[in-house]
Amino acid sequence: MITCDLLVIGGGPAGISAAVAAGKAGLKVLLLEERERLGGQLTKQTHRFFGSVAERAGTRGIAIIKDLETVVAQLENVEISLSTTALGIYEDGVSTALKSGKMIKIKPKAIVVATGAFEKFLPFENNDLPGVYGAGAVQTLMNIYGVLPARRILMIGSGNIGLIVSYQLVQAGAEVVGVIEASPKIGGYLVHASKIRRLGIPIYPSCTIKKAFGQDRVVGAELVRLDEKWKEIPGSQFTVDCDAICLAVGLNPLIDLLGQSGCQFKYIPELGGQVPIRDESMRTNVPHLYIAGDLSSIEEATAALLEGELAGLSAAKQIRPGQSLEARMEEVKTHLRALRSGPVGEKIRSGLSKLTGEALPTPSPRTNAIDELSRTGIASPANLAGVLPDEKRKKTRAYAVIECYQQIPCDPCVHNCPFGAIKPFSDINDLPIVDFDLCTGCGQCIGRCPGLAIFTVDETRDGDRAKITLPYEFLPKPVREETVDLLDRSGKCVGQGVVKSVLNTPKQDKTTIVTVEIHRNLVQDVRQIRVVQKS
Amino acid sequence: MRISEHPILSFRQNKEVHFTFDGKEVTGYEGDTIVSALHALGIWKLSESPVHRRPRGLFCAIGHCSSCLMRVNGVPNVRSCVTPIEEGMVVESQNPRGDLYDHV
Repeated sequence: MITCDLLVIGGGPAGISAAVAAGKAGLKVLLLEERERLGGQLTKQTHRFFGSVAERAGTRGIAIIKDLETVVAQLENVEISLSTTALGIYEDGVSTALKSGKMIKIKPKAIVVATGAFEKFLPFENNDLPGVYGAGAVQTLMNIYGVLPARRILMIGSGNIGLIVSYQLVQAGAEVVGVIEASPKIGGYLVHASKIRRLGIPIYPSCTIKKAFGQDRVVGAELVRLDEKWKEIPGSQFTVDCDAICLAVGLNPLIDLLGQSGCQFKYIPELGGQVPIRDESMRTNVPHLYIAGDLSSIEEATAALLEGELAGLSAAKQIRPGQSLEARMEEVKTHLRALRSGPVGEKIRSGLSKLTGEALPTPSPRTNAIDELSRTGIASPANLAGVLPDEKRKKTRAYAVIECYQQIPCDPCVHNCPFGAIKPFSDINDLPIVDFDLCTGCGQCIGRCPGLAIFTVDETRDGDRAKITLPYEFLPKPVREETVDLLDRSGKCVGQGVVKSVLNTPKQDKTTIVTVEIHRNLVQDVRQIRVVQKS
Repeated sequence: MRISEHPILSFRQNKEVHFTFDGKEVTGYEGDTIVSALHALGIWKLSESPVHRRPRGLFCAIGHCSSCLMRVNGVPNVRSCVTPIEEGMVVESQNPRGDLYDHV
């Protein structure tokens, strides 16, 4: 029988975070991970994270998890057991796990369960064919094992996962034939949607899948349009050719293990389905049993990291009272509330209020004029007009265009402007507002925006030439004086331009900053470049 | 198909690992799971369903959905999506299903 203060089950962001918090508080911790490596889903998140700079927003998920792994490995009182599958949590406080074919027994003083979540499925004809994947599986294959699951992929679901995985598929060299969404609106962050639209990937709102075609593997799909009541519109079927169908239709918390422990659950669709009942400090109804991460509610990894820390601190406080952990616990709770406070956190807020009865502050209602944008992922002229300087200012100096039209919890741009030209936020969900008297158009903010939504424009010169500077995360990289295709917000080629500078130092962390000389008339249309493949 | 170059990630070319799939000699790399090695070779169909004999492929890649169960070194119902390949491993489709008693 192994004894320890705290047993943490699950080595993803929430579990590691819990182990680190408890380890730093002096607890003897045992961290179990089923796979051969730590990191969970975070090990394949190649995109930059949203949220607060204090929680490392603007940094890629793969970098966040690498640092966290280093921190946990340095804690001598935290033992990490990889390739170890937790089997049971028993009523007498003993847990069992399988390691190298042998069952081990563990008697901890407290347990944090952070088992994560599982891909939801969708009913349609032939949904069992090889080539129908969960989005997580596609991400695992391409970002962990370096294997492209297919060449032409249809994405089902326009939540953040569907949008992010679509973008990553293109980075890996695949083609995404489209993203379909049953709701009339795009589900994920609109900056993610805009990123894939300008690559030419269509998004079909009010559309669902009827069936997959194929014998031994997927060769296509039949789709159908939905009316405003989510009913199929007769005769609106259409087909697409694809060799894989990727399901990104949400996640369910992985509660199996917890079900044995006597933990109580409640069905709350907003949080992902059956979720364990827990208090604001992540404690369940079972004494000494805590939860964190997607198991408690399906959210972004930043929330998982914070919840993990909170659960670790709560356990430490209970096992070793007398330490001054409350201040940090309150701080973490405040961060979590801020993260969930904006319009995009509404679903989670309503779910949590059903769970704990805790009243989260609702922000004052603000209207986002994003109807067209939230349907298409393409900013309208009206959207754009709101973020540009006046005509006189355009001529005097270069300037930043921040195409961030939706309130999401994210603030790296504010903290990365060396001139303080982006007005400080009072709320992390605020929209960035550029003070054009201070903005020099230097472009420092471009590579730091997790939404890749910042561009700088220089139209100060006379004549018909102007310059646009934009972020670029694809291969091949352009080189100076090369002629590249210019793509608009829908991915349509609107002309060609000449590359004038390519910034790709370690500081950019693989988000190359490219400046292109283009026709003056195109500066507000061009939002992506395409390197012309030499044959 | 393996990704040869990637704008964000770099994939190390590890040591070759040889194993068999349904009697055929195939090659993957150290660090591969059975499924990632087979996918890299364009093999998507892993087994058949027990009753209707429909093709079964990868779905979740985290060892939870049972779609990828295969017979590995004679042991049925191995989750091929989370099982690393090993030199000389014998991987087989399990059609129609694995029986535990023929192994013990």
